[in-house]
Amino acid sequence: MEGVSYQRFPRVKIRELKDDYAKFELGDTDASMANALRRVMIAEVPTIAIDLVEIEVNSSVLNDEFIAHRLGLIPLTSEKAMSMRFSRDCDACDGDGQCEYCSVEFHLRAKCMGDQTLDVTSKDLISSDHNVVPVDLADSYAYDSSDQQRGIIIVKLRRGQELRLRAIARKGIGKDHAKWSPAATVTFMYEPEIHINEDLMETLTLAERQAWVESSPTKVFDLDEATGQLKGCLLLQEVVVVDHEAYTYDEEVIKKAEAMGKPGLVEIYGKEDSFIFTVESTGAIKASQMVLNAIEVLKQKLDAVRLSEDTVEADDQFGELGAHMRGG
Amino acid sequence: MLKTGRMVTQSGLDLQQRAGYTVEAERLNFLRFISFFRAVHRGASFAGLRTTSVRKLLPESCGFLCPVRTPDGEPCGLLNHMTSTCRVTSYYDSQGNVRDFSKIRSSILSVLIGVGMMPSLPKLVKAGPPAALSILLDGRVVGAIPSSEVEKVVAHLRKLKVSAASVIPDDLEVGYVPLSMGGAYPGLYLFTSPPRFVRPVRNISLLPEESENIELIGPFEQVFMEISCPDGGNGGRSNDFSATHEEIHPTGMLSEVANLTPYSDHNQSPRNMYQCQMAKQTMGFSLQAIKHRADQKLYHLQTPQTPIVRTSTYTKYSIDEYPTGTNAIVAVLAYTGYDMEDAMILNKSSVDRGMCHGQIYQTETIDLADDGSRSDRSQRAFRRNRDNRSMHSVIDSVGLPYVGQLIHPGEPYCSIYDKTTNSWRSNSRKGSERDFVDYVAVDIKNSKNLLQKANIRFRHTRNPIIGDKFSSRHGQKGVCSQLWPDIDMPFSGVTGMRPDLIINPHAFPSRMTIAMLLESVAAKVPYMDATPFANSVKKANGEAGSESKSLVDEFGEMLKTCGFNYHGVGFFPLEQSTKSPGSQSKEESVVEVSVLEKWNEIPCLLMGQHDRLHTCSDYHVADVCSICGSMLTASFIQPQRRAVREIGGLPPARAPKKVTCHACQTSKGMETVAMPYVFRYLAAMNIKMTLQLSNGAEV
Repeated sequence: MEGVSYQRFPRVKIRELKDDYAKFELGDTDASMANALRRVMIAEVPTIAIDLVEIEVNSSVLNDEFIAHRLGLIPLTSEKAMSMRFSRDCDACDGDGQCEYCSVEFHLRAKCMGDQTLDVTSKDLISSDHNVVPVDLADSYAYDSSDQQRGIIIVKLRRGQELRLRAIARKGIGKDHAKWSPAATVTFMYEPEIHINEDLMETLTLAERQAWVESSPTKVFDLDEATGQLKGCLLLQEVVVVDHEAYTYDEEVIKKAEAMGKPGLVEIYGKEDSFIFTVESTGAIKASQMVLNAIEVLKQKLDAVRLSEDTVEADDQFGELGAHMRGG
Repeated sequence: MLKTGRMVTQSGLDLQQRAGYTVEAERLNFLRFISFFRAVHRGASFAGLRTTSVRKLLPESCGFLCPVRTPDGEPCGLLNHMTSTCRVTSYYDSQGNVRDFSKIRSSILSVLIGVGMMPSLPKLVKAGPPAALSILLDGRVVGAIPSSEVEKVVAHLRKLKVSAASVIPDDLEVGYVPLSMGGAYPGLYLFTSPPRFVRPVRNISLLPEESENIELIGPFEQVFMEISCPDGGNGGRSNDFSATHEEIHPTGMLSEVANLTPYSDHNQSPRNMYQCQMAKQTMGFSLQAIKHRADQKLYHLQTPQTPIVRTSTYTKYSIDEYPTGTNAIVAVLAYTGYDMEDAMILNKSSVDRGMCHGQIYQTETIDLADDGSRSDRSQRAFRRNRDNRSMHSVIDSVGLPYVGQLIHPGEPYCSIYDKTTNSWRSNSRKGSERDFVDYVAVDIKNSKNLLQKANIRFRHTRNPIIGDKFSSRHGQKGVCSQLWPDIDMPFSGVTGMRPDLIINPHAFPSRMTIAMLLESVAAKVPYMDATPFANSVKKANGEAGSESKSLVDEFGEMLKTCGFNYHGVGFFPLEQSTKSPGSQSKEESVVEVSVLEKWNEIPCLLMGQHDRLHTCSDYHVADVCSICGSMLTASFIQPQRRAVREIGGLPPARAPKKVTCHACQTSKGMETVAMPYVFRYLAAMNIKMTLQLSNGAEV
C-alpha cells in the first residue's frame, strides 16, 4: 500500500433535510463513490417488512396472495433494522425466523358489520413491537390530517366480509425484494457549471434574450431587472443564472443558441467531483438515517474485503478481486 | 353438432365443409370474447384454394368488414370481423317482437305505387330499360318505373327511411343500379329481409331539420352511392363529386379492437393488424364474475390499469371494465445486449412491487357418475380415509379440499371411496405449480343422497418470468430476457426515475410504428385523446381554425426544428456541396439497419462475441492494399507457367498467389485481412470504402 495515496476526503453539504426527504451535495469524490452510495441506499440498507402471512379468514374480494403481497409492501418503521438479525443467520430460533431477535409479529382482525364499506388499512395491523409499526402517513406533510387519512388501504370489506391474519415481519434488503428497499428515490447529478459568454450576450436584443431564456424547459436563466442598462432608448436586461441546479442537461439552451447563430453563447460543464443527491425515503427510516446507514453498510462491505487482504483464502473468497487487492 | 361444430352426415349434404360450424367463444380476455361475436368466416373450403381473390376486401364490404382486424397467415381475408358500426338486421324489432315482413312489404308497395310505379301484378307491363326500370322487392319483380322518375323515387324512399314516423323500415336497402354501359343490370332493388349487414351514414342530401339524418345502408346499395369521408381524402377521388351521404367518423370502418390502437392512422398498416392479433392474447380481466365461474382456465391480471393515452372507443365500449394491461415507464435504449432482437428487460423491483402480476384459475370437475360402468355408479362417494392421517391436513371429512388450502404438486386434493371394492382413490394436481384451492362447489342436483359431482377451482400466481411475452399497443412484441436489478437500471439525474422496462431502439426504424412514439410523448400529459383521424375530422368540419394544434402537428414541428425532414436527418441538403449527394443510395441504409444492430453492441460484449458476430456470421478474407486502403483494386497476377515446369518431375507446387494493387501499380502494400463480408458488399455499391490497416489489428 505504499506509493501515492489517492485518499480523498469527501465533503457533504446538506441543503435540505426533512423526515422523508434529503438533498445534499457530495463533493471531493468521484462518480464511483457517489454511485456506490446510491446503489447501497436503494438495495442494501436493511429495513423490516412483512415476509410471512398466515391467513385465518379471508372472505374479502382479494385473494390471499394479493393481500399478502400488499401487506409486504407496507413500509414499517425500521430504526432497529440495523441492529436486528437476518432470520437466516439467527441462531436463537433455529432458522424458522420467528423469534424476537429476528422477527416482529403482526395481527390483523377486521370484519365489516355495518352497511358502509370498511377500509382495512395499515393502521389495523397490531404489532407485537411498538418500535416496528406501519409508517404513519398522517404525520407527514403530504397528507391533510383533516382528511381522515387512515394509513395505507389493504382491502375494502363490505357487510359480512372478514379478514383475520397473522403476519411475520423480518429484516431484509432491497436486493432480495423491493419491499425491503427504504428508498423511494435516490438520484444524483453532476453539479452543472454554467458560463455565459458576456460578449456574445451583448450582441443579443432583448427579444432574443427573452427567447433564449425561455428556451430552457426549467428555470435556469432569467433576465435581471436590477442590472438592466440603458442602451439607446431600450432597457437591456442582463441574463443571469438564477438556479444552475435546475439545469437538467437537456442542452436546449445550447441548441437554441446554435439556432440563433450564436454558438458558444453558453458553456455548460458537469463538475466531475461534485454531486447533488436527492434522497426520498418510503418512511421506513428517516432520509438522513438512510444515508448514514448506507455509509455504514458500505464500510462493512469494504471491511470484508480488507480483513482477508493478505490471507490465501482471499483468493478463494474474492477470486480475481482478492489477487488484485494484494497488488496483482 | 352444437358442441363440436361437426356435421355428421352420410351424403355430405352438398356442403363444402363438415367441421367448424360452431366455435367455442374463448374467454382468454374480453376482447377475444367479443371478437367471436363479430367474426365472419368465409368458409374453410376457401382456405385450401390457390386463388386469392376471395381474400380481397371488396368495395361493397368496405365499412362493413374491418380491413385491419383479420389474421395474417392462412385465414387472412377469410376470417373477417364486422366494423364497430356494422349491424345485422334482425327478425325482431327494438321491442323484441317478431317483425311482420309481409306487412312491411305491402306498405312499401303502397308507397311505391304512390310515387308512380306501374305495378306488375294485375297485368304484366312490358317495359324495360332504358325507358323504364323494374323494381324488385326482396327478389320479386313488383313493378316498373320510368327511368326519369327513379332518382326522385330513391330520394323519396331514403327520406322516408330516415324519418321515424314513416312505415318504411329504417333498415330498408335501396339498391338503385343506374343505367350504364357494361355495368350491372339496371333497376331498383329493394331489400327488407334479415339478416343483412347495415351501417349508419349521415344523409346530407336531406335538410338537417330533424334529428341527425342517420341512414342505415347496406353493402349492395353503397357501391352505387356517393359517400364522402371526412378524412379529407374522399376515398382517393380527385375530381369533385356531389356526395349525398357522409361517413359519421372515419373510425367507423374499423372494428372495436382495431379502434383501441391509439393514433393507429400513423402506424404502418401491418402493425395494426398484428396489434389486433395480440390484443386478443393479452392477460387481463376476462370476466367480472370470476367468483362464480367454473371455466376450465381463466387468466386474471392482478393490478390492471387504464391506458393514459386512450381512444374514444375505450369510453364508448367501457373497456375499462375489462382492462388488458398496465402503463409502464419505458426506456428505449440499447442497454445491455439483453434487449437485442425484440427482447426486453424488465425492472426486477417493478415486478417485485406487483407490476404485471396475475393469476390463473383452473377448474376441475369431478363427476363420479361420469366415469365407470353403470353398476358401480352409485357405489362411489367423496369420503376421507380415516386411516390415512397424512391426508387429513389437506382434505376435510367430506373428501374435498379446504378452501384456501395450498396444494403442492403431486399432493391429493380429493378422496373418493368405492364401496364395492372397498378401495380409496385420490386425485392429485398435475403440473409443477403450487395451487391454492379457490373454491369448491358441490352439485347435488341428480343424486338422491350421495354427493356425486364437485367443481374445484384452483388458483396459482402467474408473475412475469424470463420468456414471457409483452407487447405495446402497436404490434410491437418482445420477450422478457432478464429481470434486471433496479440499481443497475439507468436513472434520471433530476427525478431519479428508473424505467420499468427497456426496449431496443432498433424495434422502430423498419417497423415504423410512429404511433408508438406519439403515444409515448402523449402519455406525458395526464389525458390525451388518441382517436385516429381526429385531425382530419376537425378540418372537414371547418371548426378547427383557432383550435390548438394536435399532438401530431406539434411533434412534427418539433422534429422539423431539430433539423429532420421527410427523409430523416437533413443529410441531403447538407451534402450538396460535395460531389455525390443523392447517389449514396437507399440500400446503404438498409444494410446499415441490419448490421447496426450487431455492431452497436460490440463495445458492451466480451471478446467471445467476436466469434459470434463475425466468424460465424459473415467471415470473409480479402486482399486489401494498405497504401490506398482499397479492397477493390486488388488483382491477381497469374504466376508464369514455365517457372513451375522447370522443377520437373515433382508435382507442381502451389505457386504463391501474387496480388497487386491496380491503382498503386504495386504489390508492396497488399495484406490479407479478415473482415465482415458486408464491407465488400458496401464497396460494390459505389460507396467509397477505405480501410486503414495497422499491424496489430490483423486477425
